[in-house]
This record gives sequence, C-alpha cells and structure tokens, in this order.
Amino acid sequence: MLKSLNLQDLRQKTFAAIDHRVRIITAGLGIDELRAVMRGDPPTEKPNPRYKVHTTSFLFHIRPRYYELGSTIFTHTWRLGFFTAFFFFVELFTGLILMVYYTPSPEKAYDSIIDLLTNVPYGQLLRDIHRFGAEAMVIFTVLHMLRTYLTGSYKKDRSFTWLTGVVLLGITMLLSFSGYLLPWDQLAYWAVTVGTSMVEAAPLIGNQLNLLLRGSQDIAADGLLRFYLLHVVLLPFAAILVISIHYYKVSREHSISLPANIEEDDISPEKKRAAKSRIDLIPDLLTHEVFLVSLGLLLVVLAVTVFNYRAPLESVANPQVTPLDTKAPWYFWWLQGMLKLGDKILMGLVIPGVLALLLIGLPYIDRNPYRSMYKRPVAVAIGVLAVLTLVVLSYMGLPQFGIESDAATRIIQDMAPEEGVGPLRQVPFDQLVAGSYEVDVTPSVDMCPTLSYGCPQFEEVFQFYGNYVDDMVARGRLAADNQAFIIIEDWQQNLKKITMRILWLNEEGTTSTYERHIFLHAERGSE
Amino acid sequence: MSKISFQIFLGALFILATGAIILIYGLNEEHRMAVQSAAMHGRAIEQGAALFEQQCSRCHGIQGTGIPGLCPPLNDRAFFDKRLQEVNWSGSMEDYIVATVSSGRLSSTRPQTFPGQGTPAMPSFSDRFGGPLREDQIRNLAAFIMNWEETAETVTVPEPPSEPAAGTKIIGTDITQTLPAGDAAAGEKLTSTLGCVACHIASNVGPAWRATGSEPGIGSLAAQLIHDPNYTGHATTPEQYLVESIVDPNVFVVPGFSSGIMPGNYATSLTDQDVADLVAYLLTLK
Ligand code: HEC
Ligand code: HEC
Ligand code: HEM
Repeated sequence: MLKSLNLQDLRQKTFAAIDHRVRIITAGLGIDELRAVMRGDPPTEKPNPRYKVHTTSFLFHIRPRYYELGSTIFTHTWRLGFFTAFFFFVELFTGLILMVYYTPSPEKAYDSIIDLLTNVPYGQLLRDIHRFGAEAMVIFTVLHMLRTYLTGSYKKDRSFTWLTGVVLLGITMLLSFSGYLLPWDQLAYWAVTVGTSMVEAAPLIGNQLNLLLRGSQDIAADGLLRFYLLHVVLLPFAAILVISIHYYKVSREHSISLPANIEEDDISPEKKRAAKSRIDLIPDLLTHEVFLVSLGLLLVVLAVTVFNYRAPLESVANPQVTPLDTKAPWYFWWLQGMLKLGDKILMGLVIPGVLALLLIGLPYIDRNPYRSMYKRPVAVAIGVLAVLTLVVLSYMGLPQFGIESDAATRIIQDMAPEEGVGPLRQVPFDQLVAGSYEVDVTPSVDMCPTLSYGCPQFEEVFQFYGNYVDDMVARGRLAADNQAFIIIEDWQQNLKKITMRILWLNEEGTTSTYERHIFLHAERGSE
Repeated sequence: MSKISFQIFLGALFILATGAIILIYGLNEEHRMAVQSAAMHGRAIEQGAALFEQQCSRCHGIQGTGIPGLCPPLNDRAFFDKRLQEVNWSGSMEDYIVATVSSGRLSSTRPQTFPGQGTPAMPSFSDRFGGPLREDQIRNLAAFIMNWEETAETVTVPEPPSEPAAGTKIIGTDITQTLPAGDAAAGEKLTSTLGCVACHIASNVGPAWRATGSEPGIGSLAAQLIHDPNYTGHATTPEQYLVESIVDPNVFVVPGFSSGIMPGNYATSLTDQDVADLVAYLLTLK
C-alpha cells in the first residue's frame, strides 16, 4: 500500500519534473499541450499557451501569432517569399560547409574546387545544391516581387516592407554575383571582369571604385579575397539583417495582405468574417511550413540528382586569354543586352540606377488607392511590359546575338568550343580514327573502315560540320571557295590531337585560314 | 484525415524520400570521385599537351623526341628509367620535371650534346621567376610528359661529328665557299636525323618548307628573298641564302619569326658535305 502510493507519487513528481523541463525548452508548452499540438487538438490550457511562446521565445517572437485565413490562400502568395527565405537558408547551410574546403587565393581556389569534386564525399552534391539554391533564390525573389507588385501589396502601410524588399533584391543579386567569381575558372573570371567594368565606367569616381572592388586594375589575389569576404561575411550579414526587418514588418506589424477582392469587393459579411478568421502559427502555419520545407528539400535534391543540375566548372581563370564568348550569369543577360544598345555609362549605370530608383519609389509614385488588378490596368500593363522587356533584353544579351564573328571562327567555336563540350568532344574517343577529313571531299559514310562497329557518331558530327559550312556559304558569310578540314592525329597514349581548319578565299583574293587545335583525352568523358 | 496530419504524413514521406535519394547517391560516391579524378587527370594532360606545343616543342621536338645538337628527348626510355639516378635526384620524376621547368637550366648538364640556347640552356618558365607559366600549368605539363612513360622508346641521339669524315671539313660561317656536290636524298635523311623536320615540316615553329596554299616552297622562296628590300644577309644566290640560313641564322630572320629559335650551332657541328646535301634537298622543294 505504502509502496504503491510512493510509486504514484514518484510518477507524478517525475512527470512534473519532465513537464517543467519541456516547458523550459519549448518556452511554455507542456507535454500534454505538445501532444495536442501534434494531434491538431485545441489548446489544453487557458490562456492559450501557444501564444505565450511568442513572448517567451526569441525565435517565436519574430513569428506571427496567426495569419488571417484569406492571406494564407495559396494562390495569393504562392509561398514565394517563404521559398525565397528557404533557399537563403539552404545557401547558408551548404555555404558554411563549402567554406571548409575553399581557399580564397588565385593559386588555390580552383584547386580547392577540384579537390571538392574529386576527394570529398558529397562534395559535388553540396556544390550543385549551393549553385542551384543561388539561382533559385534569384528566381524566387523576382517572382515574389512580381507577386507583391501584382497584388498591390506594396501600398499604404506596406511601403516600407516593399522598400526593404528592393534592398533584398539588390543583396540577392550581389550575393549571387560575388559568389560567381569564387571558383576562379574562366567563366567566373570573365563574367566578373565584364560585370565590374561597368563600375569603371562611372564618371569621376569610376577608377577609384574599381580599385576598391577589384583591389587592383584587374581582378587578382586582392580582388578574389574581397569578393570572398563580401560573399561570406558582409552580404550574408546584411541579408540576415534586412530579411529580419522585412519579415518582422510582415509577421508582427502588417501581417500578410488579404487578397484584394476580400478587402475591396462587395462580399457578404459572413464571407468576410470567414476570410478574417485566424489561422494560428501553432500548429497550423508551423506544420504547413515544415511540410513546405520537406517538399523544398525533396525538390532541391531531385534537381541535382535525378534532373542532373550541375554547377559548371570551366578551365582555370586565365587573364591572358579572353574567351570568345564571355557570358554573364543569366540573371544579368538583360544588362548585357542593354550594353549592346548603348554605351556603358548610359546603359550600364544611368538606366539601371533609374530603374532602381523607380522600384524604390513605386509606393509613392503609384497613387492609385486600389489593390485589385482590375482596378489598376496601367500598373498591370507596365508590369507585363517590364517583364517582356527583360526577356527580350536577355535574349539580346546572349553572346551569339548581334556580334557577328567571322564565319570560320563561329563554326569551329560551335563545333569544339574553347570551354564546355560541343559536338566534337562528344564523339566517343575510339571513333576518332587518325586521318584527314575534308568537307565535300571525304564521303561522310563509312568513314572508319578499320573499326568493325564503324563510327556513326563521328560521321554525324562530320556531316553537321559540312552542313554548317554549306549553311554559312548559303547565307553569304563564308566564301564558296573554301576548304574545311578535321585532322585527327594519335598524339600520346589515350590522347589525340584534333585540328579543325578552314581556308577560304578572302576579299583580297588571297587565302585566309582559321584553325584550332584541341587535345582530347580518353578519360575526359564526363564533364 | 485532418489537414495537419495530412501535411505531417506527406512531409514525413518527402523527408524519407530525400533521405533515400541521398543515401543511394552516397553509395555511388566512391565511383563518382574516381571517375571525376580520372577526368581531371585527362584534362590536365590535354592542357599540358597544348602548352607543350606552344612552349617546349621548339626545343624538345613536337613529339618530345628532342632535337639533336640542341635539346634532350623527353619521350625517351632512358629519360624515364635512368635520368633520375644520373643526376642524383631524390624526388619523384614528376617533381624533377616540375622543378626543371619552373626554374629552367642556367647551363646544360650535357653541354656537348644538348647545349640548348647557351645561357640559359633552358629558360625558366614559372611566373615566379619571370616566366610565362603558372604553377598549375607546369603541373599539367608534367602530367603530359609523364603520360609518355609507358610508351616511350629509346631515342638514339646522333653524335655530333667530332672528326669530319675524309675529304670533308666543318663548314664554318663562310657562305661564299664552294661546296662539294650535294645529294638531295642524303639531305632529306639529314633533315629528320638532325631534327629540322620538327620545326619546319611537322610544325610551324620555323618557316614552312613545303609549298602551302598561298606560299611557294623554300626552294623558290630562297630565290625571291635575296631580292627582298628587307633582306639583311649577304647571299647573292639561292644556294648561298640557304647556306647562310643554316650556318648563320640570325643575320637575316624571316619576318614573322624571332631570332634565336633556329639552333645556332650548325656552323660548328655540320660538315660542308652535310650542308651541301641539305641545300640540294631544300632546292627541290619548290
Ligand atoms: C630553349 C630551348 C628549350 C626550351 C624552350 C625548353 N627546354 Fe627543356 N631543356 C632544354 C635543354 C637544353 C635541356 C637540357 C639541359 C641539361 O641537359 O642539363 C632541357 C631539359 C629539360 C628537362 C630535363 C631533361 C633531362 O633529361 O634532364 C625537362 C623535363 C624539360 N627540359 C622540360 C621542358 C619543358 C616542359 C619545356 C616547355 C615548358 C621546355 N623544357 C622548354 C632546352 C629547352
Ligand atoms: C628549333 C627549331 C628549328 C630547328 C630544329 C631548325 N630550324 Fe631552321 N629555322 C627556324 C626558325 C625559327 C627560322 C626562322 C628564323 C630565322 O630565320 O632565323 C628558321 C629558318 C631557317 C631557314 C630559312 C627559311 C626561310 O624561309 O627563309 C632555313 C633554310 C632553315 N631554317 C634550315 C634549317 C635546317 C637545314 C635545319 C636542320 C639542320 C633547321 N633549319 C633546323 C627554326 C628551326
Ligand atoms: C531575400 C529576399 C526576400 C525574402 C527572404 C522575402 C521574404 C518575404 C516573406 C516570407 C514574406 C511573407 C509573404 C510571402 O511569403 O509571400 C514577404 C512579404 C513581402 N515581401 Fe518579401 N522577401 C524578399 C524579397 C522581397 C522583394 C525583392 C520585394 C519587393 C521589392 C519584397 C516585397 C514584399 C512585400 C511587399 C511583402 C508583403 C506582401 C503582403 O503583405 O502580401 N520582398 N517577404
């Protein structure tokens, strides 16, 4: 009797002790309450302990207590802001691990990436996720901005939220751009060289600014270190700070806007009340967020595994060799496109500056009091037009657009580009049988009688080459009087030398030649 | 099922799926890293090959078989098997190559057979010592040279004639002397044993000898060049021009090329018969 009593006593005491600890950890939620939360039951105590958390816990105090039902409708926010933040955290996490392996110096940077790819288990996965996350974050930031623009959520009270948003757009772009240089390959080096040359064009202070950013006239050790510090210290801290402000405005001050039709249309009071009913953070919003995170993680991992997203890596940066096609990251193609239309100062500084000012000033420029798209035809039209312009400008920013390189160079660059793969390098190694093959002279069937299985892929590429040459002739870009060769030599064990040469009769009546030698190793296989 | 449980259920499913994918991916990591390493090694060799052609082939030959009387072969059994002991090098072959290429050689260890350019016999290539190459490029070059190791055959270096054969003499630099009758076939053979081919036919390190689409061969060019207003040599006939180009290559440097690349020791290592044969051969290349 006494024993059992003691046992009960003990059980109660233990339960109380554990409950106490749990409450400390969860900032106020007891065991029973946690159970109820998990089950989706109503709160077990009064006052609602789920709200208490918001004052006792730091992490919960920056979260909203509830959102109104209407503002959580999926097609209102599309969870775009949420996913932007999600990708930011993905970047923080993967970036921190990448930092372990990375050395920010021109001698070591590229090697450390190679080491990551060849010696670190999951190294490639991490790098791919980090790159993917960066691009996704840019996409989601822009889409999120577009959403808040179209739902008119920047108006009235929320103009400051919009302003911090514009700052975040800038930080996001800069984060991406500064990270772009770090692998220190040709792609990185030249994209950033072209990008920062805009700064140089600035009147009066251009040169000083350029020096400040690049550390010397050209990007070298100092420049790399500066970009690294920007990328891993200054910009992430700035981002965390401004995201916190941005999010605080949304979660604690203005809440997410209701869809315009609920605020502005004539709808029945019941409906309105329903739309304004509260959805609590605990447990509804929180489970939804956990769900979104698990969905996001799955999608990210699928992208870099099943869908084969790969972070590119070209050959190591070489300041002496300007690649034929320098390419900015795609989210800057629009700028590259603009630069083709005018000079650097106007197109690279003045217009982007004006655009930024317009974005910042939008809540004050747009005096239309309504938020519904139907009542803001002009704003919607401008938005659509802006998106279309960006797309067209981006297209014009492609390296192939508007810059007519000499036909022979173009053909050979497209067959066997300086960087990356191209059709020629995709031909299996053993199908490259030594010999000299001339377009329109060597028949493009049965080209490798010594191979029992023939060389179908090489024949295909050779035909492609011939057609390309004919096509250039037909378009009047290459003289009809030409000779185009592929010459394959066995160079070393597992190494072949391939010469692509085009000779043509130029305007002066003499022969011009363009040729490129590439070496192919049997093992280069997978890029 | 309530909305909450449904999301928890689906979310858990997603997490499991993510975990499974990462696990399966992880099983392949060893293999992936091996393939990737091989690919990187392949890339290093490719880049080394291109660099060798630009920087080294003019001395060490297009295929690394050396140029007699100038530079040692590297694509050579003896180089891989014996050279390290010969020079008492304690490190690896790769290190030896990297060290040699980085700092060059002030003077040759074999001044009789491979004098190179004189001083330095081989210039330093590392950008730390004023050369054109970065460290990673030098390592790529070493990877390329090491790739010869398995296949390298013994290169026999023709000894420079210490005693000219009877009836012949070391040619010297006098281009007006009368030469014995030349034999074009013997001359053609000499161009490969002496390594002229490496620069003049197999690559464009030196002016092409054979006629190309736009230019005639050396046999006709020699006659044209002596009347060229920019010609700075002393030859008055095509034969003399060719002799001069061989024994005293720097009095007239063919436009588009730089002086000091064509070996300068032929005047003291070839006999008048050798040069006569060479000239006879060159004149057939119209
Ligand atoms: C100006 C001519 C010249 C050039 C250009 C040159 N070398 Fe050399 N190299 C020499 C000479 C001469 C020697 C032999 C020195 C000796 O015997 O001590 C030599 C020796 C070497 C050796 C050591 C060979 C041995 O048997 O000990 C290596 C390895 C080498 N060179 C690699 C290269 C590479 C790689 C390049 C291109 C980056 C290059 N060299 C460019 C002239 C040259
Ligand atoms: C290391 C590379 C190299 C080797 C080996 C070499 N040459 Fe040359 N040669 C050159 C270069 C470079 C020039 C052009 C510069 C000059 O005129 O000095 C040249 C020029 C010449 C010319 C003048 C060509 C003209 O178009 O006017 C002749 C003739 C010639 N070489 C013959 C020879 C012979 C014969 C040999 C072999 C015994 C030989 N060369 C070996 C590099 C080489
Ligand atoms: C790092 C980038 C950004 C992050 C992490 C972020 C995050 C968020 C989040 C989580 C919300 C809550 C609503 C939702 O999920 O959609 C939100 C709302 C909002 N954001 Fe952003 N945002 C970013 C960039 C921007 C940009 C570039 C703009 C516009 C220039 C912007 C403007 C707004 C506005 C106006 C709201 C209020 C929307 C409403 O009340 O309906 N944000 N942001």
